[in-house]
Amino acid sequence: MIDVKGLKKSFGEIEVLKGIDEHIEKGEKVVIIGPSGSGKSTFLRCLNFMEKPTAGEILFEGKDITKLKEKEIDHVRQRMGMVFQHFNLFPHMSIRKNITFAPVKLGLMTKDEANAKAEELLKRVGLPDKADEYPTRLSGGQKQRIAIARALAMNPEVILFDEPTSALDPEMVGEVLELMKQLADAGMTMVVVTHEMGFAKEVASRVLFMADGYVMEQNTPQEFFENPQNPRLKEFLSKVLV
Amino acid sequence: MDFVQSFRQNFIEGDRWKYLTDGLVVTLEITGAAVLLGLLLGFIVAIIRCTYLKTGKMKIADALCRLYLTVIRGTPMMVQLLIIYFVVFASVNISKTLVAIIAFGINSGAYVAEIVRGGIMSIDNGQMEAGRSLGLNYRQTMTSIIMPQALKTVLPALANECIVLLKETSVAGYIGIYDLTKGGDEIRAQTYSPFLPLIAVAVVYLVMVMFLTFLVGKLERRLSANDRR
Repeated sequence: MIDVKGLKKSFGEIEVLKGIDEHIEKGEKVVIIGPSGSGKSTFLRCLNFMEKPTAGEILFEGKDITKLKEKEIDHVRQRMGMVFQHFNLFPHMSIRKNITFAPVKLGLMTKDEANAKAEELLKRVGLPDKADEYPTRLSGGQKQRIAIARALAMNPEVILFDEPTSALDPEMVGEVLELMKQLADAGMTMVVVTHEMGFAKEVASRVLFMADGYVMEQNTPQEFFENPQNPRLKEFLSKVLV
Repeated sequence: MDFVQSFRQNFIEGDRWKYLTDGLVVTLEITGAAVLLGLLLGFIVAIIRCTYLKTGKMKIADALCRLYLTVIRGTPMMVQLLIIYFVVFASVNISKTLVAIIAFGINSGAYVAEIVRGGIMSIDNGQMEAGRSLGLNYRQTMTSIIMPQALKTVLPALANECIVLLKETSVAGYIGIYDLTKGGDEIRAQTYSPFLPLIAVAVVYLVMVMFLTFLVGKLERRLSANDRR
């Protein structure tokens, strides 16, 4: 579904991504781990063109999005959801409006359809009674679950998760991971940048290790964690798996 | 001359109080229209500048906006008024009040622009990213996600700008407009007594400013009371 070829990205003088080739199949759950500054978030943000690659191609369903016009990129983004570290809910809108705003504004659903969808999604994320609340009234975990519901409202083909649990208090990490696990079981294609090794082991169909702007190693979770090859990965795992 | 006599001479005789009331109407007209013009200009300039800062587009328009801001904020209001009246509209038959509205509006627009730009830039970039990630375009995200939040933060500052403008219009007399200040001065010229007419003018401004400040305070409290962030 997503094909990345020779992807490079520089911020000024600093080259963050130094050439990445990757293929993501429909239904795959790709988990990306690596030390901070390794470029994993930048890689994720290139996939929906939040960051403009310096070089390389990104094919989404056969179309190279690096060559699309802005309007066409908006169309691609409608089908690629994104969940952010800091949730980025719209504070001036109710939870219901947060979820329904984009599909209604973009003419994908009528208001009634979107409201029904929001109702259903709120049930799915376990917050059916929060529709009329505003984001400030929610805990971090609840906010992130709403952010996931907001992404789901667009019926995306794939959801990109950018460290979805990194800004959460420890006791709220579980509820978000649980929801993500449900999504994975329901067949959603997911690309997840995270530090949650347990999630990677349990949910990933494939784990990528990124460092210094390259994908250093990738494998099935079992091989990846039990039999790491790359010395950098061994070192990284020895630090995080204590 | 006792106070009553002086009061009678300055305000009652020859219906001189009318200089103040007529002047007040002119002052309010100029202020009101200039505020609207300033808001319009200010928002346009702010949006152009933010679009450039965030996306790199509209480079030339941004350069023009910066020139406008530099010139307007770098020169005195009164000089701008005189230039617009005696130079720009020198050979045009146009009402003085309209000239004043244009001059004060252009001036206020520069300050409004910087206030609004500050408001827009203060909104976390994640809001723009969240909007765009859902497939909304830049304009939709700006108008529906960023602006409503920015507007709320800058509303008190904008209201204060209106108050400043109200006082600034007192230089309108320099192009021969009979506003509140000029009206009071006219009474002084006729009665040769400066004290009462000028104090009266000051009191009228003060009362208006205090009233508007009271309203701004109320607005601020209401905004913070239902602050949902």
